[in-house]
Amino acid sequence: MKVEGEHLFKAPREVVYEMFNDPNALGAAVPGLQKMTKIDASHYEATLGIRVGPVSANFSGTLTLTDEVPPEKVTLIVEGKGGAGFVKGVGHVNFEDLGDKTTMMRYVGEANIGGTLASVGQRMIDSVSKSIFKTAFEKLDKILEERWQQK
Amino acid sequence: MTAKYLSQPIKRLEDKYLLTGNARYVDDIEVPGVLHAAFLRSDYAHAKINKIDVSEARKRPGVVAVFTAEDFGDFWKPGPLQVPPPTAIAGSKFNARTIVPIAKDKIRYSGEALAVVIAESRYIAEDAFDDIIVDVEPLPAVIDLEKAWEDTSVLVHDDLPSNMAALVSQEVGNYEEAKKNADVVVSKRMLVEHVAGAAMENRGFVAKWDEQDQQMTIWANTQSPLTVRGSVARNLGLAESQVRVITPYIGGGFGPKVMTSLSDDVLIPWIAKKLNRPIKWTEDRRENFLATTSERDQIHHCEIALKKDGTILGFKDVFYHNTGAYDSYGMTVPLNTQTHTISNYRVPNFYTEIRMVFTNTMVVTPVRGAGRSEGVFVMERMIDFAAKKLGMDPTELRLKNLLTAEEMPHKTGIIGQDFVANVLDSGDYLDNYQKCLKAVDYEKFRKEIQPKARKEGKRLGIGVVAFTEGTAVGPYEGCKVTISTNGKVTMATGYSTQGQGHQTVFAQIIADQLNVKVEDVKVITGDTGSFAWGAGTFASRGATLVGTASYLAAQKVRAKIFATASKAFGVPEDEIELGEGFVFVKGKPENKITLGDLAIKANPMRGVVEPGVEPGLEATAYYGPPHGATGSGALAVIVSVDPETYKVKVERFVMVDDCGTIINPLILDGQIDGGVSMGIGNTLYEKMVYDENGQMLTASFMDYLMPQATDMPKKIEIIHQHNKSPLNPLGIKGIGEAGAIPPGPAICQALEDAFSEIPLEILESNLNPSIIYDYVKKARNS
Repeated sequence: MKVEGEHLFKAPREVVYEMFNDPNALGAAVPGLQKMTKIDASHYEATLGIRVGPVSANFSGTLTLTDEVPPEKVTLIVEGKGGAGFVKGVGHVNFEDLGDKTTMMRYVGEANIGGTLASVGQRMIDSVSKSIFKTAFEKLDKILEERWQQK
Repeated sequence: MTAKYLSQPIKRLEDKYLLTGNARYVDDIEVPGVLHAAFLRSDYAHAKINKIDVSEARKRPGVVAVFTAEDFGDFWKPGPLQVPPPTAIAGSKFNARTIVPIAKDKIRYSGEALAVVIAESRYIAEDAFDDIIVDVEPLPAVIDLEKAWEDTSVLVHDDLPSNMAALVSQEVGNYEEAKKNADVVVSKRMLVEHVAGAAMENRGFVAKWDEQDQQMTIWANTQSPLTVRGSVARNLGLAESQVRVITPYIGGGFGPKVMTSLSDDVLIPWIAKKLNRPIKWTEDRRENFLATTSERDQIHHCEIALKKDGTILGFKDVFYHNTGAYDSYGMTVPLNTQTHTISNYRVPNFYTEIRMVFTNTMVVTPVRGAGRSEGVFVMERMIDFAAKKLGMDPTELRLKNLLTAEEMPHKTGIIGQDFVANVLDSGDYLDNYQKCLKAVDYEKFRKEIQPKARKEGKRLGIGVVAFTEGTAVGPYEGCKVTISTNGKVTMATGYSTQGQGHQTVFAQIIADQLNVKVEDVKVITGDTGSFAWGAGTFASRGATLVGTASYLAAQKVRAKIFATASKAFGVPEDEIELGEGFVFVKGKPENKITLGDLAIKANPMRGVVEPGVEPGLEATAYYGPPHGATGSGALAVIVSVDPETYKVKVERFVMVDDCGTIINPLILDGQIDGGVSMGIGNTLYEKMVYDENGQMLTASFMDYLMPQATDMPKKIEIIHQHNKSPLNPLGIKGIGEAGAIPPGPAICQALEDAFSEIPLEILESNLNPSIIYDYVKKARNS
């Protein structure tokens, strides 16, 4: 499955990038994220509850950050599995400073899903992932607004 | 002798419980103390197993036991080759890699069993899956058939040099030589895609071990109870007589239920014996989609060579056949494809090559149509393409090449699923086709209906194809017919029933021979405790093989009736007359003996009997044909295509079918109707899809579209031909799969006709509106 999109954050690039490195911020933003622990600078462990059509299950897994060029870009490797299958994905995230204290985030990635999630949930997974991104960005916008105002 | 019941539209005797929802299926079997099994199945299509940790699952309250491959110790081994490859085909190669009951070391398809949990309830058993830690190392999946065949491919079975499961070529005549004389040669690559059997009832299995009697009783909805009995006995080191397999009512078979030595029938009896507790397992729909068996999935590279006048000189077909991760069912399906590709027409030169390939997908075994559909599809399509190139009407090209009654029996020379060279035993294929053209009024459609519809902006198209259905193959089936002391008749056969109407048709044949009421004949199918010989339900062979055995056994009983009555009355046998349920001496009907009383006389309790006399009004008979009996027919469809949505509607459906002697016209039409719904479903709705990682994307009825009643044509018009098979005394040929075979090529031809102004060429079997739209778009742009 291909994942692709962009989002305009109303804050300078450094602030946006910093937020993406804060497990608390991400934890609050991703719907269904139950736990997110930072293992070291580039590794996280997370537990996520997800519902795709008739499939609802918990996934636990790791998030690895590589090829990091703060605050411009980062590559994310996600590996998770649970009772309803597995997800393995690689995403390339790019932050472009638009110069007007806003940042355009662009992401492109490829996710492989397997198990019940694929065999029963496949038809809905695209719309579910879009909805997860949408909700997450809405939350992140709010978090960012608060942070930016505090600065 | 008059036939009171044969060929009569007797209503099905078995329908009372089925139609009122009271039929007892395997999941309805209640055994005291039963435990429930659930299989944890792999999410990965291809992976190396590092460790499966079930220690936490074993601790869950309500869980009685959890087993992985390791826990089965020496009992774990790859299963038997249920169908051996034919040895008669010179130079054929076959690599047997049979199904393993549960994955060990390596996972070869998504859905393969990894662990089995035994618990107080199915809910607890499935909950325990969450406690199991599966540590695997994913491997790239082998999915694409043509790439899988290449030497560079990742291997499904590491101990083989390639993914080749089999390589079989057969040739009659010399295609390459014939091609030199051709005026026209057409080559195409075509797909026949993957479909499910999708029976209404999934697999189910109950095993009960009686320690005191040392007896295993199994209730299973298998198409092959005797194969299950044999393999369970062998696996557990028991005598066959220590295992009884009972098939209760079964909600459809369609092929996949013939496969044995899957996880359930191998592991559950072992566990039941080990724990000394009855075990029940009922497959859920997702398991059925992922991990039973399914069929089709071939890629064909075809070539046809013809003279200008349309005479077929030769045909060449090199095709890839997906066998899935294992090949326990041998080569039945691709051999059927080879025989059926040239089974309608005079094709003097034919080269056919099977490239059977292992992939990381579920195991492929027959599904109604079973290789025949593929062979008929590619031949019919190639004839359409050749007709276009020759500028001939597709019907004209067929009329020129179809086999006639004068050419029967016709030896095609291609060795088939019964390991003997195919002989088309009877029929008039040209006549089938001509009758079909007439019934659909082809001329009128072309000259009036279609042009008129075009003027009104409606797209109508017609397709008329021919087909055969190889049926009634050996080795043999049998049955025992008994007249009881109450005068009623019991017939028992090892053949199992999934809705075919066996309880009625066999009773009809027997009732005629014994002159009893049809409802007084009780037919017991698929209980190895009642009859323990036979092969199983497949290849549309029940009516012919068990029907003939019924006829032969009933004739033997009839002879016993006359012999016993002759002795009882003290008159020669030719003075005995058989009334309905009684015997009497000719001219003296007032002095009669009922068949029940005669049965008592046939079993003396004191005194002596003459040498050679066998007790009872009972006899057993077997029937095995020298080769299969081939049914045939033709199908005409008229379709309309919605210009906006490209949804296809089948407006008319006219089928000519020849299954020789008709035993019961109601059941016959029902068989055809059922097959047609599968044929139309396969063509316009159903398709199993795997992604490139071996994940099945269609493992529920949300994504795997089954045709609805509303998708069927308003009327299925059927014309019966009556060319008897010379192979058996009643002249029967099978019919079970006929309806499923020709709809694909007929609908494709009709679609191309509906868009005859553009060079539309449909090269695959499973369509939907968006696929048709893409084809049309491509043709318009070309």
